[in-house]
Amino acid sequence: MHGRPRKATKQEDPAAAAAKSARLRELQSQLLHFHHNRIYTKEAVSVSSKLLEINPEIYTGWNYRKLAFQHNLKEVSDTDTDTDTETIKSAIEDELRMVEVALRRNPKSYGAWYHRKWILGQKLVPANFDHEFRLLDMLLKADARNFHGWNYRRFIARLKDVSEEEELKYTMDMINTNFSNYSAWHNRSMLLSKLLRKKAKGFHEEESILSDEFELVRQALFTDPSDQSGWFYHLWLLDQTSTPHKPHLVSSWPSDKLNIEISAQFKEKCERFPIIFCFNQQVDGVNLATVTINSKLVSSEHITWKPLSANNSRKSKIWVGFLENFNKYCDNSEGLSVEISVHCCESIVHLKFVMKLSHMDHQGENGDGFEELFLWDCPKSQEINPYLVSYDPWRLRVESVEEDTKWHLDTLSAEIALFKEMSECDEDSKFVKLTLARLLGAHNSIKSGGSAYFEEILKLYDDLIKLDAPHYRYYRDERSLVLLDQMTSSKDSLVEYCSRCENSSFSCINPQLCINFSGLNLTRIGFVERLLWVQILDLSHNNLTSILGLEALQLLVCLNLSHNQIMSFTALEPIKSLQSLKVLDLSFNEIGSHPVDTTRYLCSSPLSHTCNVTETMEELARENIKIGDFWEAILLFESLQLAQLDMQGNPVTNERFRVLVGKVIPCLKWLDGKPVR
Amino acid sequence: MESSQPPVSSSHLDPTSDSDSDSGDELGPHLTVTQEEQLKVESQVADIYRCLVGVSLHRQSLVLELQRDRHIEYLTKGLNQLGHTFQVLDANRPWLCYWILHSYSLLGEAVDSELEGRVVDFLSRCQDKEGGYAGGPGQMPHLATTYAAVNTLVTLGTERALSSINRKGMYNFLLSMKESLGGFRMHQLGEIDARSCYCAISIASLLNILDTELVRGVGDYIASCQTYEGGIGGEPHSEAHGGYTFCGLAAMMLIDEVEKLDLPFLINWVVSRQGIELGFQGRANKLVDGCYSFWQGAALALTQKLAPLAKEVSEEQSTIHATRDYSDLGIEFLRRCNQTGPLYHHLALQQYIILCSQILEGGFRDKPGKHRDYYHTCYCLSGLSICQYSCMRDGDLRPSTSDVLGPYSNMLEQVHPLYNVVLDKFYTAHKFFSRSSF
Repeated sequence: MHGRPRKATKQEDPAAAAAKSARLRELQSQLLHFHHNRIYTKEAVSVSSKLLEINPEIYTGWNYRKLAFQHNLKEVSDTDTDTDTETIKSAIEDELRMVEVALRRNPKSYGAWYHRKWILGQKLVPANFDHEFRLLDMLLKADARNFHGWNYRRFIARLKDVSEEEELKYTMDMINTNFSNYSAWHNRSMLLSKLLRKKAKGFHEEESILSDEFELVRQALFTDPSDQSGWFYHLWLLDQTSTPHKPHLVSSWPSDKLNIEISAQFKEKCERFPIIFCFNQQVDGVNLATVTINSKLVSSEHITWKPLSANNSRKSKIWVGFLENFNKYCDNSEGLSVEISVHCCESIVHLKFVMKLSHMDHQGENGDGFEELFLWDCPKSQEINPYLVSYDPWRLRVESVEEDTKWHLDTLSAEIALFKEMSECDEDSKFVKLTLARLLGAHNSIKSGGSAYFEEILKLYDDLIKLDAPHYRYYRDERSLVLLDQMTSSKDSLVEYCSRCENSSFSCINPQLCINFSGLNLTRIGFVERLLWVQILDLSHNNLTSILGLEALQLLVCLNLSHNQIMSFTALEPIKSLQSLKVLDLSFNEIGSHPVDTTRYLCSSPLSHTCNVTETMEELARENIKIGDFWEAILLFESLQLAQLDMQGNPVTNERFRVLVGKVIPCLKWLDGKPVR
Repeated sequence: MESSQPPVSSSHLDPTSDSDSDSGDELGPHLTVTQEEQLKVESQVADIYRCLVGVSLHRQSLVLELQRDRHIEYLTKGLNQLGHTFQVLDANRPWLCYWILHSYSLLGEAVDSELEGRVVDFLSRCQDKEGGYAGGPGQMPHLATTYAAVNTLVTLGTERALSSINRKGMYNFLLSMKESLGGFRMHQLGEIDARSCYCAISIASLLNILDTELVRGVGDYIASCQTYEGGIGGEPHSEAHGGYTFCGLAAMMLIDEVEKLDLPFLINWVVSRQGIELGFQGRANKLVDGCYSFWQGAALALTQKLAPLAKEVSEEQSTIHATRDYSDLGIEFLRRCNQTGPLYHHLALQQYIILCSQILEGGFRDKPGKHRDYYHTCYCLSGLSICQYSCMRDGDLRPSTSDVLGPYSNMLEQVHPLYNVVLDKFYTAHKFFSRSSF
């Protein structure tokens, strides 16, 4: 099944072929006869040997031998105890010899390899490990990528209790013979992972070990910069060097020591106040037991924590909980003070924030606030003072960075220097450029407040887009992430993209800032953990086909996605969890143009969808609007309470669709810039 | 990825640049064995592709023609040998049936009633009385040969073929192969790997006998086979491998637990296996091989159907319902439109299959210099079909001419990528087995 090269039958003398075929058929029927009648005599077993010698693929033959082996062993132990060991030994040797013959014939025979494991795995007598390793040497010399051989080597090493250090030496020998042998590199990474995890003797110093490995793989890469094996190993090493072992909290809303000013209007309208945690990797178990809340009026039991993930998994990087009825609590003048402790992986993070009513409430507002049309052209004229970006996710980030990052940074710097040198020698190597971009990115992610490399990385991805056109989408995505990292990397850089929004209806938190990321060629979203506080976000005029990640921005009220390349409503799935969203601009996308979806990789249970027929759907059915044509739109809009929606310039938008939208969103006031009756 | 022109050999495929540089030290003084072999294949492939350079479109189209008649001839020869000539694949005879008959059906060739009768009869003799199919009459039932037998019978698609399967026995056989930790054994006292899981799940799904009992633990076992490269290995700690990656992903989709895999990572690994030769390799730094056109290509075809769906099942529901219905996952897969275009270069892959794997006298091979065989014929044709239909959008009945490389008559029948049987045959079988639970 797995591309095992099968040799075509050679042209043989017809008479000889017929004789061979007759012989094979004879052996086969004998074997089956013995098997079905449970005959396990020496003569019977030797028939299976002859058959397996010719064709090791006959798994029934292997099975028969296992049964024969067990049967004969039982007979021995029933009769004579003295000769026990010797008989067992010789029985085992017979089996091993058989397998060896079979493997010489077909080194990829599943049945033969497994038979050997089965025999030795019973540990009836001490195995002759020297012999096993010699056999392996021989077979892996013949085909160094035979994965059966490597699997067996791992099996034997475990059986003999060979130290990982020993096996590591073996991978070194294999790499020295042929550094393109990825199977050897792969086994090396498996062994090193184990050694480092259990902190074996000589492997306490993860750092020096990994440094040596960098040195090793460097030689391979320098010898041939287009050899895949080294690159895979390098990628693994980079991952060991840049990813923290333990999950930790990277940001939260509200952040620590934050004083939140809440507009009176918002207080009236809103009953739920979100608390959001962002972790650096997916975690589970955020619950009553791990999050404790200390406040006069709110207690832990009031909050249910939910993972925000696109699939239905219990693990997520982002968790959200809601303070219900919070407007009851923050009426007094000191405001409501809340302290939260999050227990995550042996460390505890404490947060404290205060919610207060704003004194700067706008006068003369009445109605529920969305009577006016929200316009996206916020004046950018005003200078924004960085201190106005009241929320400070960077503090948490800086504190959470592990202290001993010196080695990581030094190692990465050394690698960076080398790869720069390499890229000067070989300007057109995409491997070199991509690795350099990844190294620089890893360096940025470890060095807090580091901003040194953004421009360089962007340049590298620009080069790669030109150099390696077939993968340009990947590079564009990576580039988008780097750009977002850069823009959100500090208050000062983010302020460049902020403007004041004067209409307080649309924002609950003072001051009202609009983040403007329009026209930046973004293809995907990232670094949402630094934007948890954002209420007004302009992502128009980009190349977004997916908005995965936006589900984290639980405070979003206004979202502009116009002039992007969103192709279907399923691509807007992340919006469904944004319960405060009121204004949504989807104009001039490609929704309905063709069913090609955006969410490039994302996949939740793809093959089942069940949705309950709702009243709205029944009503639509009565009006002869085919739900089938629009069900994704219905599911999306039904879960939101939008006041303003712009859909013009999408192929899906027609009169039928407008009627549908009116039905599905009863609270809608503005559609495509016009008031809804 | 975007181009609709045949990816005619480009300058970087020019082998002369490589052989010349041996004297200069650009590649280092010593090439590893692997590198030497790789360069050899690259230069062979480049020589072949040169036939397209500077040639009129008409001439190109002639060169890129699928030799249907020759393939049928080669396949028919194999069928006639079946049963009375010596075969090395004596314990894999249902596989031969499947490789040949599936290739037949991909080429749109009908099977006459006499041949159909012979195949059904032969496979019935392979069927164990307790359930499952063996590699030959009298041998023990084995998951892989059972998969081949079931797919063969589905490919025949007649009442006689489909009703010859003992589904009750099959269910018991599958259950007896199940290990407590989640995986399946290939046969009694046999090995466990991602391949055996796929075979078991695919069989059960096609025959509409898949239930929670069979599914339990399979998803976790397969997830434990995914490696840091992104692909899936045969067993935990093995390196990622194209065949197992297909098996693992397809099985996960059939049991609706695909979210247990790291998919972006998996896709990233698979797409990077399409190389400069235009075909796919099976593992990192291995040589290109035509059969991975299916294993890797179909894995990507599966991912084209993945997208977040409005799954409105609340968590309580999904945990409370101890039993769930797996019977329609295969058909629902087809109802979903492709969520994205092909994630690999589908025209380039067709070029590799037709120019490098196709043998003009009939049959397909691994790569230039190798012999043809039925295994490669089956999986090259399956891969070719996957490519041709990779750009299909909702409502399309046929692929557009620009997505079928060579003359439009090259177009093959469409397969169901989860099972690798031709679509029409799948529908027939689905209908047949939906009529009753066994």
